[in-house]
Amino acid sequence: MNTPPSPNAPENRPVSAWQTATTTASSRARRRPGALTAGIALAVGSALVLSACSSGTAGPQEQAALTGSATEPVQGGVLEYGHLQEPNCIFGGWIQENFTARQVLDNLVSATEDGSVVPWIATDWEVSEDQLVWTLTLRDDVHFTDGTPLDAEAVAYNFDYWMDGGNGTAAAHLGGFYDHSEVVDADTVEIHLSAPFAPFLSTLSQSYFGLQSPTALQTRTVEENCTEPIGSGPFTVKDWKRGEYIEFERNEDYDWAPENARHQGPAYLEGIRWNIVPDGTSRYGSLLAGEMDAIGEVPAVNIAEARQRYDFTQYITPGRPVVINLNTERGIFTDQAVRQALSHATDREANIESAFLGTVPFEPSGYLSQSTPGYDADAAQQYPFDLEKANELLDGAGWTGRAEDGTRIKDGQRLQVKIVYGLNTIVTPDGNTAIQNFQEQARAAGFDIELRPLTPSENFSGAYSTPDSYDGSVGYWTSPHAGILNINYRPSTEEAPNGANTTFLDNEEVFTTIQQALQAPTDAEVTATFSEAQYQLSELAPAIGLYTQTNTLAVSDRVSGLWLEPAQGGPIFHDAHFTSEEARDSSQGFSAANAENEG
Amino acid sequence: MTAQPQSQPRIPADAGTTGGVPAAPHPAGPVQSATWRRVPVTVWIAGVFAGLLLLAAFAPGVLATHDPRAITLGSPLAAPSWEHWFGTDQSGRDLYSRIVHGTTQSLLIGLGSAAVGVGLAVVFGSWAALGGRWADAVIGRAIEVLFAFPILLLAMVFIAVYGPSVQTLILAVGLGIAPGYARMVRAQVMSVRRSGYVQAAQALGHHPGRVLAQHILPNALRPLLAVLTLGIGQSIVWASGLAFLGFGVAPPSPEWGALLEAGRPYIIEAWWLEIIPGLAVLATALTATVLGKFVESTLEGER
Repeated sequence: MNTPPSPNAPENRPVSAWQTATTTASSRARRRPGALTAGIALAVGSALVLSACSSGTAGPQEQAALTGSATEPVQGGVLEYGHLQEPNCIFGGWIQENFTARQVLDNLVSATEDGSVVPWIATDWEVSEDQLVWTLTLRDDVHFTDGTPLDAEAVAYNFDYWMDGGNGTAAAHLGGFYDHSEVVDADTVEIHLSAPFAPFLSTLSQSYFGLQSPTALQTRTVEENCTEPIGSGPFTVKDWKRGEYIEFERNEDYDWAPENARHQGPAYLEGIRWNIVPDGTSRYGSLLAGEMDAIGEVPAVNIAEARQRYDFTQYITPGRPVVINLNTERGIFTDQAVRQALSHATDREANIESAFLGTVPFEPSGYLSQSTPGYDADAAQQYPFDLEKANELLDGAGWTGRAEDGTRIKDGQRLQVKIVYGLNTIVTPDGNTAIQNFQEQARAAGFDIELRPLTPSENFSGAYSTPDSYDGSVGYWTSPHAGILNINYRPSTEEAPNGANTTFLDNEEVFTTIQQALQAPTDAEVTATFSEAQYQLSELAPAIGLYTQTNTLAVSDRVSGLWLEPAQGGPIFHDAHFTSEEARDSSQGFSAANAENEG
Repeated sequence: MTAQPQSQPRIPADAGTTGGVPAAPHPAGPVQSATWRRVPVTVWIAGVFAGLLLLAAFAPGVLATHDPRAITLGSPLAAPSWEHWFGTDQSGRDLYSRIVHGTTQSLLIGLGSAAVGVGLAVVFGSWAALGGRWADAVIGRAIEVLFAFPILLLAMVFIAVYGPSVQTLILAVGLGIAPGYARMVRAQVMSVRRSGYVQAAQALGHHPGRVLAQHILPNALRPLLAVLTLGIGQSIVWASGLAFLGFGVAPPSPEWGALLEAGRPYIIEAWWLEIIPGLAVLATALTATVLGKFVESTLEGER
């Protein structure tokens, strides 16, 4: 096995990413029959919607760096932040919904740069010897913004809520493993699993597992909980003007930031205006013009300048990188040799270097991004650019004829495949360039690739998610651990379809290996078994790696203290503040207040 | 030449007679050779450009300097140079060659949608004007309903159903612009219908079809020619707008609207990716308009 240094940290992420808990001998696990099936079933529908996760950019070793000075922070002011995409809800199963959820909701634990977790709402944890019961000790001083205490009861309620459809991605992660929760006392809750799940804590650091007030969930409408979820986080939702902005207001009571926060107590800012600016040129331009104090998703073409002018942070998200998933169930890519041939056919490294102007790393692996704990660099390197090999494989597979335009032919059928991708939702304009470069390069081996960029509505409608709708589809999925393989490669069954399995791979050996990795007793075994799974997948070649999903943040000198959290690469505003009183006083304030003033 | 836009067909003073009926101003007499000396320079320029467009559309290989699909990974976003006259795009493809090769699709979209729009407009506009009160009321209301939909929205619905392609774009944009033209056609046909030469033809018992084909339509449509030629350029712009919204022709097509959309993220750093395809659309629209006006005024007998 070969584990390279994490690109986001100077040294390897310690294997303790899997487990930071102490093991105790308390095996009080009571399994609920059928829980596994139920869990998997829950994972189903929602997972489909989620397969398109986050976006971002990053410079190695800059991740989560504080962006400013540490002198007495200025209080107040509304920070203007420019963001690429608008979420459907503040909290949900899509990565964009995690970025907003993180401002409003707290988690049980917080991820750190080295892949481990630190206390947040949970101050301590233990796992039973059989690894089936996690006992979490909670802070006793936390309440939601509606006054409901955040206690063991609330945590147990939230677990059931996520798994019963409250969050599809949460259910996709823990489906088949979560059994039930038990309240021990006000500050202690037991999470019972039906099978060991090594990356349990790391999983909980994602905002899919943001804690909401049970009172709010029970008494308010779905719409209210969508647009204005009640959490215990550093901000609350003040206003949301769809298509324009979301305003967050400081939670004055906040005094339970995670251990890795830069300060304790309420946020320095009075609030944030989270502006939706989909066009990259406009977004960067608004930062240049001083309309924004910070922006996310700096276009590749602006990164060199942004590094000079602004406090610039780039973060490579762990999980599945941006890959082409090949349809192994129907069509031309059911032939493994053809999949392997396409993997060899193009110079992906040169392609990514050119398309992103050298700002985003090439990712050879089709399965895990290089910042994921457990990433195996050798397994990732099995398909270097080798046109000769690609041609041999295709010849061997019977694609020996050639049409006038160079496309290979077998039994009268052209080697023609359709690749679909959500443009501007999943794939940025720079990524679009990379995909077109791939298309053009693959012609040399005799592939005729038809590209079909999907509009946002087409992408989210699910019209292009069935085996008969594409030969290849492009996607990524952030996850702080290699357990993402279980989400992406668990075979669909009738009672538990898996919409996240976009290659439709149904391979017993791979699935078994992934299950063994998730349940392995030691960190070393977890890593070794995931490594084996990566080799097995690599041989089957159901996916082709393109580039890492990276998050970027460019911050003007008017503000300081922003950082990107490591689990998913979202911006953290709790520690942000204006750098001077002049800068703060020139901020516009909340829209409603402006309207009143003008009125 | 002193072409003056006219909203009403003009009957030349020396109009002859055919079968006792005062001849309609159409058809005009042959253009006389002396006319050519008085063709304005703008028309010459437009003519030359139209020739280039046709050459690019039918034999792009003659004008292009590179393979429009060939990528050069080392040199994305290169500024215009001797090697790449219009610079290169984000994949290092030669922009000049892509614009040349995109002419076919763009002209097809421009001409095609204008033809679809006008075709529908002539049928329904004439029907409304000549079909009696009920036909006029029904078609008139239908046109008003269609007017209530923004063209882009209508086109997007159409493309959402049938999927993006050149053919869909032509139909979508054609449908979108048809109501406006239909209303103009209706107004023109109505006014021509009441003119003396039509009434004379009807009084002489000519077959209604002949009256329509020989007298009404030619005179009703001629003043619309300039508007229609403008529509060609406008259709290309509509198609670009649809491409901008993700409803355009799939990559790596060098259709001009798709080029405009693809260059958008680089508008500050690589201006040529927006400005030059934009100029191609503009020049084509201008060419169509100049030639259209010239033909219109020539047909009207401006000498």
